[in-house]
Amino acid sequence: MNRLQQLFAFTAVALLALAAGLYFRTGEVESATAPPTPPGLMDAALADLKGVKTPLGTWKGKVLVINFWATWCAPCRKEIPAFIRMQQKLGPRGLQFVGVAIDEKDKVALYAREMGINYPILVGELDAVELSRSLGNQLGALPFTVIVDRAGKVVKTELGGVDEARLTQLIQPLLQ
Amino acid sequence: MTRRQWLCLAGLACLVPAGAQAAAPDLLEPGKAFRISARLLPESHILVRLLVADGYYLYRDKLRFSIEPASAQLGAPQLPAGTVKDDEFFGKVETYRGEITIRIPARLPPGADKLNLRVVSQGCADAGICYTPQDQRLVLNAMGDEALPAPPRSLLDSLEGR
Repeated sequence: MNRLQQLFAFTAVALLALAAGLYFRTGEVESATAPPTPPGLMDAALADLKGVKTPLGTWKGKVLVINFWATWCAPCRKEIPAFIRMQQKLGPRGLQFVGVAIDEKDKVALYAREMGINYPILVGELDAVELSRSLGNQLGALPFTVIVDRAGKVVKTELGGVDEARLTQLIQPLLQ
Repeated sequence: MTRRQWLCLAGLACLVPAGAQAAAPDLLEPGKAFRISARLLPESHILVRLLVADGYYLYRDKLRFSIEPASAQLGAPQLPAGTVKDDEFFGKVETYRGEITIRIPARLPPGADKLNLRVVSQGCADAGICYTPQDQRLVLNAMGDEALPAPPRSLLDSLEGR
């Protein structure tokens, strides 16, 4: 093999490896969006709109969609009607949305009433932020949505708005 | 050995960094998305400079300023007009992008050589996420030196230290 051929072979291998690396890197980011399930996730308890501490384990055995949101967050408000529709449609099959509002209780209660939110809402401050961080939301940004299977294992997390069709697609297999 | 390590052995894949942040690879920490600095001017004004990164915005009406000690005098902040955004949920709201300078009349109490400025702000990214309100504290001295906030933290974090 002359020098030119060697250079060509090296470049080809390098480019192939780079392409493969980029391909698998994307895969890593995807899989990394489902962080390890924090120990004691189902024991984590936040106050509901009546001020009663409610552990997430209340809904154990259901497919849980935990949505961290706030009334001051426009992208959060945008996706709530879809969550209401999905809860109505898939609730009987074992889907349970739980909203975790990082907000003031009165504002949340008013908004929940106005919107006709048909799933439980928990409210928190630092405790809710810490819970979302433990689930992988390092920026503490909203909206942040976590899908938990019937066994209590975190399957997927999403920072930013979730598309209804995509969320349904992710949830359907878990409802089987 | 992982696929990645095999590829690393095979060539250049190891030079490609793995996804740095799982949930949000492209989003900035709030302290980097919304930079703030301030100084006390000799003519008894505080000059606050906000630098909002491209693709991010702050809500004008969510900005709050307060100072300590309580004996220091703080006037009404002179907030420049923002860009009016017709928000689907909040109606017409003014937002700040890029660089914004805010003047706040302020006077040091007699004998004091510094004051603590507290700034609460809340902003979002065009990418469709919003940050929890940020609570930043800056120590301004009578020399007029530019002050940067103590390590950025969210308003909710600050509750911990209460």
